[in-house]
Amino acid sequence: MLMAFNPRKFKKILIANRGEIACRIIWTCKEMGIKTVAVHSDVDRDSLHVRFADEAACIGPAPSAQSYLNIPAIISTAEIFNVDAIHPGYGFLAESPYFAEICDACNIKFIGPRANIIRLMGDKIEARRAMNEAGLPIVPGSPAGVTSEEEGLKLARDIGYPVIVKASAGGGGRGMRIVRSEQELGKALETASTEAAAAFNDGTVYIERYIERPRHIEIQVLADEFGECIHLGERECSIQRRHQKLMEESPSTVLTPELRKEMGEAAVAACKKLGYSSAGTVEFLLDANGNYYFMEMNTRIQVEHPVTEMVTLADIVRNQIRIAEGEPLGYTQDDLLIVGHAIECRINAENPETFAPSPGVISAFNLPGGPGVRVDTFVYSGYRVTPFYDSLIAKVIVHARTRELAIARMKRALEAMVIEGIKTTVPLHQKIMDDPRFRAGDIGTDFMEYFLARNGRKAAAS
Amino acid sequence: MSAPKEQSETQGRRNRSAGRPAASVNMDELRELITLLRENGLVELELENEGFRVRLRREAAVTEPAPIAAPSPAPAPAPAPEKPAAAPAPGGPTHPGTQATTAASQDQDLHIIPSPIVGTFYRSPSPSADPFVKIGSSVESETVVCIIEAMKLMNEIQAETSGEVAKIYVENGQPVEYGQPLFGIKPQ
Repeated sequence: MLMAFNPRKFKKILIANRGEIACRIIWTCKEMGIKTVAVHSDVDRDSLHVRFADEAACIGPAPSAQSYLNIPAIISTAEIFNVDAIHPGYGFLAESPYFAEICDACNIKFIGPRANIIRLMGDKIEARRAMNEAGLPIVPGSPAGVTSEEEGLKLARDIGYPVIVKASAGGGGRGMRIVRSEQELGKALETASTEAAAAFNDGTVYIERYIERPRHIEIQVLADEFGECIHLGERECSIQRRHQKLMEESPSTVLTPELRKEMGEAAVAACKKLGYSSAGTVEFLLDANGNYYFMEMNTRIQVEHPVTEMVTLADIVRNQIRIAEGEPLGYTQDDLLIVGHAIECRINAENPETFAPSPGVISAFNLPGGPGVRVDTFVYSGYRVTPFYDSLIAKVIVHARTRELAIARMKRALEAMVIEGIKTTVPLHQKIMDDPRFRAGDIGTDFMEYFLARNGRKAAAS
Repeated sequence: MSAPKEQSETQGRRNRSAGRPAASVNMDELRELITLLRENGLVELELENEGFRVRLRREAAVTEPAPIAAPSPAPAPAPAPEKPAAAPAPGGPTHPGTQATTAASQDQDLHIIPSPIVGTFYRSPSPSADPFVKIGSSVESETVVCIIEAMKLMNEIQAETSGEVAKIYVENGQPVEYGQPLFGIKPQ
């Protein structure tokens, strides 16, 4: 199992993704002198990732199942173009152990951790058990799937209310229910299980204690294939709507250097114990008393990785590629540098008030620039935002010496982020930047509920 | 091994306007054909009609002579416009299907058979065998017109239309992408 692949330098990489992340990967490949192959569906022909790749192939029609999730088409393209490796980006096949195994079998390096780790972390119950064994604290909860209401009631009594019912195969908030009393539990188990079965084809749910107003804090790790592992500090991702992150920052306003060190070292130790390799993110819930609990691990590059890149000066994609090439990490934990403060706003093609998707043609587009501003995007003036994929069209990332300066910088960057023809979340982010609680750093995963209520839109939150 | 079923729904482009019959070929028409060949970046053009047969061939910049295993991509194709009109930046990637798409876009009177999958195009069941179809061959909807190899699987592609093969847009052994025109069929 160890080193099933001979280390070698990559000449050409296929990017099995679309959108801003495909562009993001292409930029680093260009800097590394690696040729890129883009794959795309027939509606993505005019997307920038296709434009800037060295080679490209249309692999199927618009529905993801027939294009970006179409493993035979992607492998076939990889073989035709004779690529050394495949970068899966995030979403689509990024966390498919099956895809990673097929890449291995076809002698194409999958840029990510080994398939067995992806599989383990993909099963949220197993992941929690394994990470707990590897030393990470977890939220008190059921050790396995809950099969009956009786069992659920007994477990919940031991755990203590409020509890949260979650889908074992879950993510993105589907199959989740917060339960504050015994009477609600039966129905919550049933609806969560139904939702989970519909969304993930697996109706298994589990119960754990619900932590009120927690923060979502995640630790970025980098591990090579020789057992070396470091962390790159944390990202504060508490600003979410329906468990979808909207804005992220690094560092968090509540992590003391001691807590950062403790959480970082715990994450690294667990990753080492599991034999993790490549970039990964260990997600924690942090309560008001500084207790942290392992939630899940994402075995891929994340949407919000740029905030870490800004404050650490690391190129995470570059490190993923280097590690996949079989290079040693080359850094120690002492090399970690955290400079200033970074914020990322996700610009979605959505109505900023109702959050309804807003596809259409972008009639005018201006990118903000100037000091300390980075925009990751794949759209341009004249681009048609299709309804087939997720609504993320750009990420505006700023970096400044302090959080206060970063907020000021984000405000003026958002002002210059002009997107006409469709509705976007730019105005929402502008309002958040002016919110007193946000400015004070007083945020938790309930922030959006508070924010939308304050701005007269209670219904939109959940 | 037949191609996925979804393919039939995805063949959106159907043009059934009648083509004009070419009874014979004179020098002017021959010149026209040569221009057509050059302008569309075609490498080979074969025309057969009532005992009359013309075959035009020109050197392409680099065209692989059908390597069986992992044909090299980057075919550095003969100069052909490859800019999608809306995209902003100069340059752009090498798309295996650019040439064929450009060529087929001229053939308004033909029904185009697009590739249902990405893979490697083969005109015959084995390197030594005769091609499934040639210019002038009659096809029915069930007629196998080519093979597309994807992940070592040989997928037989059926015409799904009837008529006469008028154009073959892809060289044997070339990579093809989803939706790329393979054949132009003159409806009968």
